[in-house]
Amino acid sequence: MAGLYGVLDTSGSALDTFKTWMAALGDNVANVNTIKRTSESAFQARLIEVRERAGGGVEVAGVDFSNPEGTIVYDPTSPLADAKGEVRAPAVEMSDQMTSMIAAQRGYQLNLAVIDRAREAYQAALQIGK
Amino acid sequence: MGDITIDALQASMRGLAVRQRTIADNIANTETPGFVANTVDFESALRDALAGGESPMAVQATTTPTTDAISPNSSNVNVDKETVSLIDADLRYQLMVQGLNSKFHILRSSMGG
Repeated sequence: MAGLYGVLDTSGSALDTFKTWMAALGDNVANVNTIKRTSESAFQARLIEVRERAGGGVEVAGVDFSNPEGTIVYDPTSPLADAKGEVRAPAVEMSDQMTSMIAAQRGYQLNLAVIDRAREAYQAALQIGK
Repeated sequence: MGDITIDALQASMRGLAVRQRTIADNIANTETPGFVANTVDFESALRDALAGGESPMAVQATTTPTTDAISPNSSNVNVDKETVSLIDADLRYQLMVQGLNSKFHILRSSMGG
């Protein structure tokens, strides 16, 4: 972790983490309309937990899942509907997912910009003695 | 090296590298709940060392946590400030490289190269 190379390692860990977060969000959004029978548990959104990485950077600490209960929706036309005409929809809030997606995307771009900056510094260092 | 100019420039580059790493860490943790951003200072220690006639090579950078309020379920990283600090540190680093090269140029001229 000596010198400037630590920047690549640190920002690289952030790219990794933000990418994991974006993948989970993408999956959650893709399944926002995934309905299940009331006898089954609902689609569970993936919630990524992050923590500070020892020695610099960030890492995924774990994955949490949203409530398997979901919400019961009346949809008698659905082939999955039970005797009461009800189905189970996921407890995924589209607005939450999209705001998180923006944050994750910005975070990714920001860390990419940091790597670019670090590269400039390395290139400057290569000019020493020329 | 025994040359005060080269030593001072080198100490400065070392400090700036620590600052860049710290800023990278702050930016990496913008979304980490409870994370507290750090700032790096080496200039005051370098100034004291130069004023006191001590070797700049012994200068250590000090890391201080910021005191800004932590927003709920997030960190206290100020992304705008960090970005500006990173550009500042990067440009300063390039300046140090130019300074070193100027010094080497003078040495080379004096040697008749």
